[in-house]
This record gives sequence, structure tokens and C-alpha cells, in this order.
Amino acid sequence: MISAGIDVGAKNIKIILLRNNEVIAREKILSGFEAKENVVSLYKKILEENGISQNEVSSITSTGSGRKEVDFANMSVTDVTAATKGVTTIYPSVRTVIDVGAEEGRGIRCDNNGKVIDFSINEKCAAGSGAFIEAMSRALEIPIEDFGPMSLQSEKEIPMNAQCAVFAESEVVSLLHAKTDKKDIAKAICDAIAARISSMVRKVGFEKDIAVIGGVAHNVGFLRSINSNLEAEVIVPDYPEYIAAYGAALITE
Amino acid sequence: MISKFREWNSNRHAYAKEWKNKTGGKVLGYFCTYVPEEIIYAADVLPIRILGSHEPQDLTEPHIFGMFCPFCRDCLAQGLKGKYSYLDGVMIAQSCLHIRQAYTSWEKHIPTSFTYYLPMPNNVQSPHALKYLTEEIRDFKKALEKWIGKELSDDDIIRGIQLMDENRLLMHQLYDFKTQENPPISGEETMQIAITQQMVRKEEHNFVLREFLQNIKSNKKNTGTRLMILGSENDDIPFVKMVEECGATVVIDDHCIGTRYFWNSVNYTGGDPIEAIAKRYIERPACPSKDWMDRKRIQHLLKLAKDFDAKGAILIQQKFCDPHELDIPAIRKAFKEADIPTLFLEFDVTVPIGQFKIRVEAFLEMLNEYDLF
Repeated sequence: MISAGIDVGAKNIKIILLRNNEVIAREKILSGFEAKENVVSLYKKILEENGISQNEVSSITSTGSGRKEVDFANMSVTDVTAATKGVTTIYPSVRTVIDVGAEEGRGIRCDNNGKVIDFSINEKCAAGSGAFIEAMSRALEIPIEDFGPMSLQSEKEIPMNAQCAVFAESEVVSLLHAKTDKKDIAKAICDAIAARISSMVRKVGFEKDIAVIGGVAHNVGFLRSINSNLEAEVIVPDYPEYIAAYGAALITE
Repeated sequence: MISKFREWNSNRHAYAKEWKNKTGGKVLGYFCTYVPEEIIYAADVLPIRILGSHEPQDLTEPHIFGMFCPFCRDCLAQGLKGKYSYLDGVMIAQSCLHIRQAYTSWEKHIPTSFTYYLPMPNNVQSPHALKYLTEEIRDFKKALEKWIGKELSDDDIIRGIQLMDENRLLMHQLYDFKTQENPPISGEETMQIAITQQMVRKEEHNFVLREFLQNIKSNKKNTGTRLMILGSENDDIPFVKMVEECGATVVIDDHCIGTRYFWNSVNYTGGDPIEAIAKRYIERPACPSKDWMDRKRIQHLLKLAKDFDAKGAILIQQKFCDPHELDIPAIRKAFKEADIPTLFLEFDVTVPIGQFKIRVEAFLEMLNEYDLF
């Protein structure tokens, strides 16, 4: 049995195909302005490349903030449910899921059956999310891939208020003017995002094990900061940005 | 039938202006539901609650502190924009400082022939509260008599009481329908009826509501997860609609547009009618600004949730609304112990519908988890 999970995020569309609950393919593409068309073309592409016909796919489940764009899906679940299902299937010991995507950060607490007990989502601003890191890497003029590794070179603690992405950017500019080293600023930004995400996670009350998923889980600097903030050793699955799509694919009617 | 309530709500100013033209009567705007409308009805004045418009504005910054709630700003903005230019007077009964600042600023900048501050006691649990409020309402009655140039007899006051109580009784009958398995009335419809309670003459409201109740047919359609909604002032119809479109139905509320406004009656059986009115306001389901020393609200909320079989509760708070902010942690704790999950949302003049929708959907999935896996 083949099932598909389609995660239409604020920035990227991720698709995963499962055969008997084992991953056989994964693909992603920028959501862009025409998310609907992009979903269709990515879905066609992933089927074609893996020699699978549309009839072979018995269930399609969509998730993500743009999940309603997938009008050919059989069902649709929110990111909270999909992410929890995905993580707890791989790591049954996980009780707290931290999901940091392009525009949203989420803290989810679940029980030993993978049932969501409570969750918290960042308020109206994107300060604790991937878009914020992108904005900061532009301000620092460093490629986003270098952001995490660069921050690891620093041990300094520079307080930064990341309550608002716009104000944080002006703090970064002030630090640059004060000739602060880029690696120290990069670490300060990682600490600030981690502090913001941690406070959200504390709101739902966290329990170990903790998993971090979403695109921002690729940022090693952020992971170090969140570990130190929560005094934990977070688990990061392979392909963390695909976990919600994976969870969605596992949820079938 | 519900269309009449929707029409009243969306043309609230036109309704009041028309009533005024038709009757030559006075319209009195009020800021808080602790205002004893019984007395105002006795005086044949139209009391209407001053509400916001849910539109961004840039007029109130010089008048209201930055950390005061968006609702009080929105209300004042309506006055400064001239939306309530037909009002002959404004009044408030003390509840919280935020809305009182909207009132005092209104009094200062938007002249009317009558303004009144009614010092409704905040410590309603004090043994002196009833006597105090009785005399305050008596003073208010005198001021009102002076304004309209006519003395109000006990019979006038009793007429005011009966009119208000009849409206309350009809609202209870409406809410009784909401205890049904698939309520035939949605939360959106309920809110339309509840809002218009505070802007339409009660005689008219009673008439239309009575007819509405007679025509309610039982509902076989599944109306989804039963939710309670509670917290700060809330007249955000698009929000309630969004929640219900996600597969839920709001079966019960604790808002001052809603049950807090009408839940208990005066039930006048003789004696001093003013004291009977005061007793009703002392004993009504409290706004959190008046719910101390004992916290009586929480037991009331749990009972509502149980009686209406709410599976989850959405707790809303107007940004910076201190009284509700103080109550919400204790409510969440009590609801958790009662096995009723809660979702907390902070409201502003406009709410981010898209972001809230994701949360509401996730909350509903959480409540219905076992259907999914």
C-alpha cells in the first residue's frame, strides 16, 4: 500500500511517499506564490521519478499552513497532529516535539501513545522561526548554511532581545557597528531564538525526550542553544523538515 | 428570522437614530454591563452599550495608556470618530480602570447633556455592598429624573424590571436549545442575539426573540465538537464563525456579551424595587474584576461547562485585560482537573484569523484524537 503525505509550508512544499509505512521517496520545492500549481507539479514529479501511477496511491493526506491548497487529498490534518505522529512513530520515547519552520514555531507535548496533550504556537510575529534566521543572515551577510557552524565558534554570551524580528535586526546592526565579531552575533541570534522557543515550550510544560523538527533543526547553532537552555540533549531525526509530511502520510482513513 | 438580529447588529447606529426620530426619546450610551438598565427603561430612555468596530484606528493614542486593552480604545475611537453622535448621554458603572478611562475621555472630549459615573462596588462580596449599591442606584435614579424632567414611580421601576427579566427569561429559553445533542442554534447566531440585546429596545428584542424561539426546529445534522468560550468582552462574530466552520459548535459562553449579561434575574416579589435591582447586580455572574475575596467564578464556569456538555473551552483575553489575565491560569487549572482541555487566545481589535484557525483546528484534532488514529 502506498500513501502520500504532503506538507504545504509557508516556505516549502514537502512530499513523502510510503510503501507499507516505509519511506520510498521524498521531495521538496519552494511554495512560491502559486502553491496549488507547485503542489501538483511536485506530486507528479515524485510519482514519475519513482515509476508509480496515481492509482497506486491509496491515500493522500495533507498538512501544513497551506494544506487546503491540496484539493486532491483524501484528508487533511494540522501540523500539530502530523508532526507528533511523525516523531512518535520514529521515537516512541519522545514526549515533547519542538517544530520550527519558516514562519511558525511550535511546542507540542504528547503522552506515551503519541496523543497530543497540549501545544503552543508562536504569537503573531515570526521572531522565533526560520524566516527570522534568514533575515539575520542577510543582515550579517553570511550564507544561511554557514550560520549555525559559524555560531559554534563562539562561546560569548551577548544578550539580544528577539521579541521582534525588526528590533532584533537593529540590534544586530548596532552590534556590527560596535565591531562585534560575526560569529558572536550569530551565536547571540541562536541563543535568542532558542530562548523564545524554550519559553513557548515551557508554557506547555516539557518532558523528555525532546525532539526538534522542521527546517531550523538543520541549524547546529540553534540546537546547541536549545540544549543548553532546556538542559537537555534534543533528538533530531534525519530529514527533520519532512517529519510533518511523514506523519501525514502515516495518517490514513 | 436570525436575519433580523443580524440586520440590527450591522446597522446598530441606524437603529438607534431611527428610534430617536420616531419616538423623540433620549439615547443613553453605557460602557459596562453593570449599569442597571432597569432604571433606564423605567425612564423610557434607550440604553445602548458602546462597543468597538474591530477596525484599526489612530485616534486614541493621546487618551489611553499603551498598556490598556484594545477594547477600551476601540470604544473610545467610535466616539472620537463621531459614530455615536446621536447619543444624548453616556454613563458607566465601575468595573475596570481601562474602560473607565475610555468613559472619562469620552466625557471630556465628546460633550453630551448627561454623563454619569455609577460607583458599582468592586467588592461585591462585602456585607455592605448591597446597601451601598442600593443607595447609589437611588442617586442615579435621581440624576436621571432630573435629566428627563420627570419623577419615576415604583411602578415605573417595576415595569423596567419586568421588561429586563422577560428578556433574560427568553435568553434562558434560547440557551436551553443549546443543551441539545446537535444544537439547532449556532454560536454565531447566539452571539448575534446576545449583542443586539444590548442595542435594541427590549420590547422589540423580546418580540422578535419570542417568535424566533417558536420557530426553532430540532436539528439532526452533526454540529461537531461542543465548545465553551469564555473570557474578556467578546463580540467578534467572524472569530466565532471561523471556529464553527472548523467543525465545532459553541454551546455555552461566559462573556459580558452573553451569559454574564443575562444569567440571573431580579425576580421582584415586593418591597423596595431599587434594592431588588441592586441585589441582582451584586449576585450576577461576576466579571473577574469583582470576583474576590472568594473566587466564585470558577465553580460557576465549571457548572456551565458541565450542564452544556462542553468538550473543550476556548479562553480568550483582550490583550492587557488584567482581571481576566489574572483569572485565566486558575481557570485552566480547574478545567484541566475537570478533564476539559483549554485553548488560550489573545484578542486584539482585529484577530489574525488565519493563525487562530490553525490553532483552533489543532485544538479540535487534539479533542477528537481517537477518531484519527
